[in-house]
Amino acid sequence: MSLKSERRGIHVDQSELLCKKGCGYYGNPGWQGFCSKCWREEYQKARQKQIQEDWELAERLQREEEEAYASTQHPQGAQSAQSLTFSKFEEKKTNEKSRKVTTVKKFFGASSRAGSKKVLAGKLREVQEAKAASPISRQVSIETDRVSKDFCEFLKTYHKPGQEIYKQCKLFLEAMHHKRDLSIEEQSEYTQDFYQNVADKLHARWKVSPEKVEMAMDQIEKYIMTRLYKYVFCPETTEDEKKDLAVQKRIRALHWVTSQMLCVPVDEEIPEVSDVVVKAITDIIEMDSKRVPRDKLACITSCSKHIFTAIRTTKNEPASADDFLPTLIYIVLKGNPPRLQSNIQYITRFCNPSRLMTGEDGYYFTNLCCAVAFIEKLDAQSLNLSEEDFDRYMSGQASPKKQEPENWSADMCVGVRQMYRNLDLLSQLNERQERIVSEAKKLERDLIDWTDGVAKEVQEIVEKYPLEIKPPNPALAAIDSENVENDKLPPPLQPQVYAG
Amino acid sequence: MATAAATSGAGSGGGGGTAGRNFSFKVVLLGEGCVGKTSLVLRYCENKFNDKHITTLQASFLTKKLNIGGKRVNLAIWDTAGQERFHALGPIYYRDSNGAILVYDITDEDSFQKVKNWVKELRKMLGNEICLCIVGNKIDLDKERHVSIQEAETYAESVGAKHYHTSAKQNKGIEELFLDLCKRMIETAQVDERARGNGSSQSGPTRRGVQIIDDEPPVQSSGGCCSSG
Repeated sequence: MSLKSERRGIHVDQSELLCKKGCGYYGNPGWQGFCSKCWREEYQKARQKQIQEDWELAERLQREEEEAYASTQHPQGAQSAQSLTFSKFEEKKTNEKSRKVTTVKKFFGASSRAGSKKVLAGKLREVQEAKAASPISRQVSIETDRVSKDFCEFLKTYHKPGQEIYKQCKLFLEAMHHKRDLSIEEQSEYTQDFYQNVADKLHARWKVSPEKVEMAMDQIEKYIMTRLYKYVFCPETTEDEKKDLAVQKRIRALHWVTSQMLCVPVDEEIPEVSDVVVKAITDIIEMDSKRVPRDKLACITSCSKHIFTAIRTTKNEPASADDFLPTLIYIVLKGNPPRLQSNIQYITRFCNPSRLMTGEDGYYFTNLCCAVAFIEKLDAQSLNLSEEDFDRYMSGQASPKKQEPENWSADMCVGVRQMYRNLDLLSQLNERQERIVSEAKKLERDLIDWTDGVAKEVQEIVEKYPLEIKPPNPALAAIDSENVENDKLPPPLQPQVYAG
Repeated sequence: MATAAATSGAGSGGGGGTAGRNFSFKVVLLGEGCVGKTSLVLRYCENKFNDKHITTLQASFLTKKLNIGGKRVNLAIWDTAGQERFHALGPIYYRDSNGAILVYDITDEDSFQKVKNWVKELRKMLGNEICLCIVGNKIDLDKERHVSIQEAETYAESVGAKHYHTSAKQNKGIEELFLDLCKRMIETAQVDERARGNGSSQSGPTRRGVQIIDDEPPVQSSGGCCSSG
């Protein structure tokens, strides 16, 4: 019996099980038919090749960028005296480049050592990610290129200080490169100091007008942050990512919160208002896609403006903070913007402080921070709900929407909403008709009962008091006719006539 | 805006004006809902009251440029949400502000109590560097007054604040309020600057409290702020 079953089993040729490379060990389909050892070799080779290619691409782009810079600088450089400083510039750049190459070597050197396995794992992951998102990373470098080019163009208008600024930025970026292992707070501090120093220098040493300082600072921020973004946005050394997920989960858990609970002064039934609300949600979600802190702030500002329009349309008066904050909270809850915490932290750490502290953008940003803080600690009391209701909604046992059919989610389109409303009306109508029919039947029944009742009553009475027609009483009837004792009565009084 | 980099956030750093005697101040507006905060700023910045023709889209962030004795002042007025449920968020708003305007409704005793809470909190968070103004609004409704002038003024004095009587409806006392506040803020900034010495004032305001957000505002009287996950 057992022999038979064995023979019936799937038969695989011994050679098919062996490693494809023919080393004599068994292979594994998970390793594409190689044995573990050969697979590792093959895989490593392919990967090494890819890494090499990636680096070549990066090198090439760097070269192109430099060329672009050189070409933009040339007309200016041709003006005799400046060409000297410019060649120095170039020299510095080549230095930098060679240093970069050494880091590359260092990186590969490290990969052979087993001691720094953890570092290696991290770096490999990075490369892997870069590889996985190859078209994206390429796009990013194109963007970086464009930003650098714009920056050079922009600095040309500043003449001498422009070159200084460029030098400063390069130095700063290099320094940041070496600080990459430091905590994010230290990096942030260093960046903030850099902003401050450059602004001071522009002010004091080069006597640039305040407006131009402002403009230059914006451009500097754009230039350096486009380059640093990859390393300082949501860095692995912090808890940012964990917090992002926590916030996201929290917002998801609060999906049942309605605009009524938050007392949002926005009426989404008005088509224009619901349009603007959608725009506001889009803006706040878009924030994550920007790389420069200032662009992120611009998204928040644009979202806020849409909110103001919505409030203005609904209430027809300018929005105060009492109206604005609840609406912003509502928008954040509806939109659940990706990586909210990381974005806030990134802006806080790396935005030019002058913008963040006093400007209008700063105000909206602060409100967003408030909204997130509110959402994090939101409880029954802040929604004017009872503890039990809040717990039930949070645990998903009940949904306030079912109790109040008026609370439709905001993202529902107008047509669908209208349809639901009509369905609701129809069902109400149906109910009412049924009620009428039943009432009518009842009435009919009542009427029948009533006639029956009356008939019965009459019957009873008739039975109780049967109608007997008796012959007329002769004695009574004869009362008048036979005035028996008529003559015994005195004669009627006669009027007496007196003479006179 | 021009010198914002040099003077912003003077509340904690105290950087006053630099070249050209320019000042940028951040002023927060605190007060319960319905005390007339919005009307107050709208009257000040637009000189309108409950007007259908108010052009601004919003009254939560307004700016005003002033010239006080040759000193140019940029005033940024930050409105805050006054509802009770947002009370714990206060510290995020008033961080780094130079002045605070605390508004109450003279016909509403509760709103005055709220002001007292805020004063306590502000002093705890920002110390004496912030200029406080306590404002009794709606003096056009004096017949229904529930907060006595005596009480309010005594209280203001006891906490180092100044008291003002205003009516946004009748446009009374508002111009004075803001002008006075600006003068006081300039003074504070200058004293601060002098205390630092002229040399250090350049590099003084480098790293002010840029941390706009953290999960737990360092001090809060109403407990448990932002801590529950």
